[in-house]
Amino acid sequence: MAAPRTARQKEIRRHLWIYGALTPYVIIAVFPIYWMLITAFKQDRDLYRMDVFPLWFHLPPTWKNFTYLFYSTNYVDWVINTMTIAAWVAGITLLTAVPAGYALARLRIPGAENLGIAIFMTYLVPAIILFIPLSRVVAMLGLQDEWWSLVVVYPTFTIPFCTWLMMGFFKTVPMEMEEAARVDGCGYLGALLRIVLPVSVPGILTSVIFAFTLSMQDFLYGLAYVSIGDQKPVTVGVPTELIRGDVFFWGSLMAAALMVGLPVAILYNFFLDRFIQGITGGVGK
Amino acid sequence: MNEQLPLQTDHASVSRRRFLTVAGAGVAGSSLLTMLEARQAPAQIKGTTLRILQWSHFIPAYDAWYDKFAREWGDKNGVKVRVDHIPHLEIPARMAAEFAAGSGHDIIYNGSSILTRLYYKNLVDLSDVADAAGKKYGGWIPSARPLVEVEGRWFGLPLFYILLPMLYRKDLFDQNNLKAPDTWELARVAARTLKPKGHPSGIQLSQCADANLNWRSLFFSFGGQEADASGENVLIDSKELRETLRFAKALYDEGMTAEVFSWDDASDNRYLASGVGCWVHDAISAYRTTEDTNPEVFKNTVIALEPQGQGGKRVSVAAPNVWMVWKFSKNQQAAKEFLTHLIDNDIEGMVQSRGYNMPYLNSRYKKPMPIIGTDPKMQILQDFPKIVAFYGYPGPATTPIQEVVNTFVFPDIFTKVARGTNIEDAVKWGVGEYRRIYAKHKRA
Amino acid sequence: MTASSHSGGPDAAGARAAAVSVVSRARPRGWFKSQSSRRLAFGYLLLAPAVLYVLLLVGAPFLFSLWLAVSDANVGEQVASFVGIENFRAALESEVFFIALRNSIVFTVVAAIFKGLLGTTLAFLLLQSFKGKKLIRGLVVIPFTLPITISVLSWKWMYDSQFSVINWFLSRIGLIGSYGSPEWPVWLGEPYLALAACIAVNVWRSFPFSAIVLLAGFTSVPNEILDAARVDGTSFFQRFRHVVVPMIAPILLIGFLFDTVFTLSDLSVVYLLTQGGPANATKILPVLAYQIGIQAGALGRGAAISLFLFPLLLPLMILLLRNLKRREY
Repeated sequence: MAAPRTARQKEIRRHLWIYGALTPYVIIAVFPIYWMLITAFKQDRDLYRMDVFPLWFHLPPTWKNFTYLFYSTNYVDWVINTMTIAAWVAGITLLTAVPAGYALARLRIPGAENLGIAIFMTYLVPAIILFIPLSRVVAMLGLQDEWWSLVVVYPTFTIPFCTWLMMGFFKTVPMEMEEAARVDGCGYLGALLRIVLPVSVPGILTSVIFAFTLSMQDFLYGLAYVSIGDQKPVTVGVPTELIRGDVFFWGSLMAAALMVGLPVAILYNFFLDRFIQGITGGVGK
Repeated sequence: MNEQLPLQTDHASVSRRRFLTVAGAGVAGSSLLTMLEARQAPAQIKGTTLRILQWSHFIPAYDAWYDKFAREWGDKNGVKVRVDHIPHLEIPARMAAEFAAGSGHDIIYNGSSILTRLYYKNLVDLSDVADAAGKKYGGWIPSARPLVEVEGRWFGLPLFYILLPMLYRKDLFDQNNLKAPDTWELARVAARTLKPKGHPSGIQLSQCADANLNWRSLFFSFGGQEADASGENVLIDSKELRETLRFAKALYDEGMTAEVFSWDDASDNRYLASGVGCWVHDAISAYRTTEDTNPEVFKNTVIALEPQGQGGKRVSVAAPNVWMVWKFSKNQQAAKEFLTHLIDNDIEGMVQSRGYNMPYLNSRYKKPMPIIGTDPKMQILQDFPKIVAFYGYPGPATTPIQEVVNTFVFPDIFTKVARGTNIEDAVKWGVGEYRRIYAKHKRA
Repeated sequence: MTASSHSGGPDAAGARAAAVSVVSRARPRGWFKSQSSRRLAFGYLLLAPAVLYVLLLVGAPFLFSLWLAVSDANVGEQVASFVGIENFRAALESEVFFIALRNSIVFTVVAAIFKGLLGTTLAFLLLQSFKGKKLIRGLVVIPFTLPITISVLSWKWMYDSQFSVINWFLSRIGLIGSYGSPEWPVWLGEPYLALAACIAVNVWRSFPFSAIVLLAGFTSVPNEILDAARVDGTSFFQRFRHVVVPMIAPILLIGFLFDTVFTLSDLSVVYLLTQGGPANATKILPVLAYQIGIQAGALGRGAAISLFLFPLLLPLMILLLRNLKRREY
């Protein structure tokens, strides 16, 4: 029959249109990753050549860049440090931003609006200025050259945004729920813990992912506060130890990028739905 | 100054340090000399820690050797030594952070960008170590002292510098009947001849360290001067600058391509290694990179002396490397001991860096020097020390010069001219920037 | 009046809501003191960690940086003296400063336009239902998740004047000349190209974020409203402009603000790609401030440069955020 075929044809055509339109985006987004992949496995001699097709190998691929990374640098330490730092920072951010967001959203604090704005304004203070007085703080805490110093410093840029995120999110939790809980004798704390938080899991997960990702974007603080090889996070270790003098160790650089980038991307992807839900929650519905 | 101080009876390192600082550097110097002559580590430094921060050498093997070297010294003297490495470009940020924190490493390094004058009030006077080394090894080359000297005292210890010689492709030159680039004019002719054949040359016209070094070599070889011997007066507004710029424009138009505007410090290395560049003016890291990645090209690469400028002068601007000790260091004595040990072994460092590190002490230049003396292709490097200069030549590396260097004013003048700006306008801009920067530092 | 919120019992939700609003309007004094003060105490307690953190680790250093900007501070000096607006005046006298200011503004504006365009179109595409949507969504988000220094370095290699794979492609398909000819774009060497190259990296990193935020916003608009608008005969774009955008404006605004501030203060992209060259074509304020304040040691002047936009951005931010709060209700 003509009708079902046309419907299916239409569906296929629609799919083709969409895939076609999406292709440039996917290529743009993913091509650098592919490039990293190829470069990571190329021999140096294969790299500095202009006459050959650069997207495939001409000399056999090699594990050399990866072995250099693992045996001759502190790469493994860097990755572990980065992940640990990110986890701690996410935790600290949660412990500070979630309560603060709730307080600003629901507890009718006088001047809440201005306080919220003031917290967000901290983003206007540039890191290249902050890092100097903060180094004094880090030294006072005895954390110089340990990655713990970054755990202390990174929340300064994750807390403001996450507070806003949580603030917006908590506003969408119906007040009636909380009131009901308090009526039932929960008190403010109880209402928060037993009613509001469980409903806010998407928002909380969003904050976690966000804090996690943000803490991997820093370069300056890590550079200034951690100089010991095995204490560096990967974002500092890679540019500082794989670029020596005026020589770039491109193969190992790309290998390093791949191995830290892809797992994070996969993890992120996992939580993407929650992330969307979380941001959505931040909209006054 | 020659009194024997009762060191052996003074036990507590804290009170000894106070004693040293109160009594003044000269007194401390003589006591240190006594210890050095005794050639034994004083008991006071046993059990302490020493932390050193320096750059990541482009030859990883050098860093491996250095770390082992430091550890061995530490083991012999009962000191726990730790060496940390970060790129030399990031050291200023790190220094600012450590200074603000009032703690950090004991020994800190500066490469290319020498900030001794900025921080000298908080650095340990190393005149004793420097004088001892000078006495032992035939004296320092003239350009060493102005790097670190403030008020007549050495606040840093220059350890080595990095040369940027001429590296050229002999095979291409021979095939085209070109003479070796002993003068800049010959280099220009070569580039002009070889560019249409697919082998241009290149010097960075961008904001990077090599651009600061290379264009100054050209300018100084043409007889130009950056500042006078006192360092107070800027001398770039000269006939020589205009001649250099005219030459540079011709050189760029005839023999280079627009890529040089995007180059960083490593690009000329790659250029040579790819087989394209007919000559580059670069540190021997390019030579080593080519050796490792393109043996064909390497076979035909030759190192040559700094070309002569108009008037027959040769000046080669090198990148200095200086070690300093923070005043807040809790282990100044061990730091000084280690630095002495380091300078005693600067030749070993040269070997381990495959000839990259050039020493500052005269007796080291006795031929044949290690690595560069024995490798026939590298022997010419032994003739460089006579013609080496640093930023601010012939004056010292003052703080305004540092700012000029860090904001890339000098190469920017050349970039503007290469891009088509009228020479007079470019010079006016450059001189204006210099004057402004110098004025700011005078006000401060 | 007894507070009905204290009474137990099964009230209808509506009645409770009404009771709650009554309670919040009319408060008997005795009750007010204990209920409100407990609420406020709880609130301050919850707020305390965040506020303390920000106050101590950002507020205090910020005041310090204000001091730096009006002093002749220098990295090697513990004590600096007050010089008033001298640093700002010195900045305004310098041609490089104006170039940096211009570059910063151009960078942010152009990047915002592209991020908006690419993000919106991508979000529209992702709104459709099709097979493999999750996979595609996952792939497209990757630029945002990679640590910034690592992705910038990859781009640096892709822009290389000799070995650029982008150029290799473009020349193979005939869009540009071959290596050595004047049509071979030297991405990081030509002034406009270099700026475009840096902007491209910034856009590449951030447009997935814009797309996801928009997508989230779109999906949050309740279907009833959209259907109602459809029934009214509005076109897709009309619906978009008059229904969807106002509803998701708050989240759009926050995302936009955050991204703008980040772009204006980001050091890494330009620092790792061009250091501000060629001849200051890509010098933006943070890079200039870093070079003068840290690498050359003139801390006071560096602080003045990096804080220059602060008086402009601050009122703008306050205005936008105030506006936002009003929209939420």
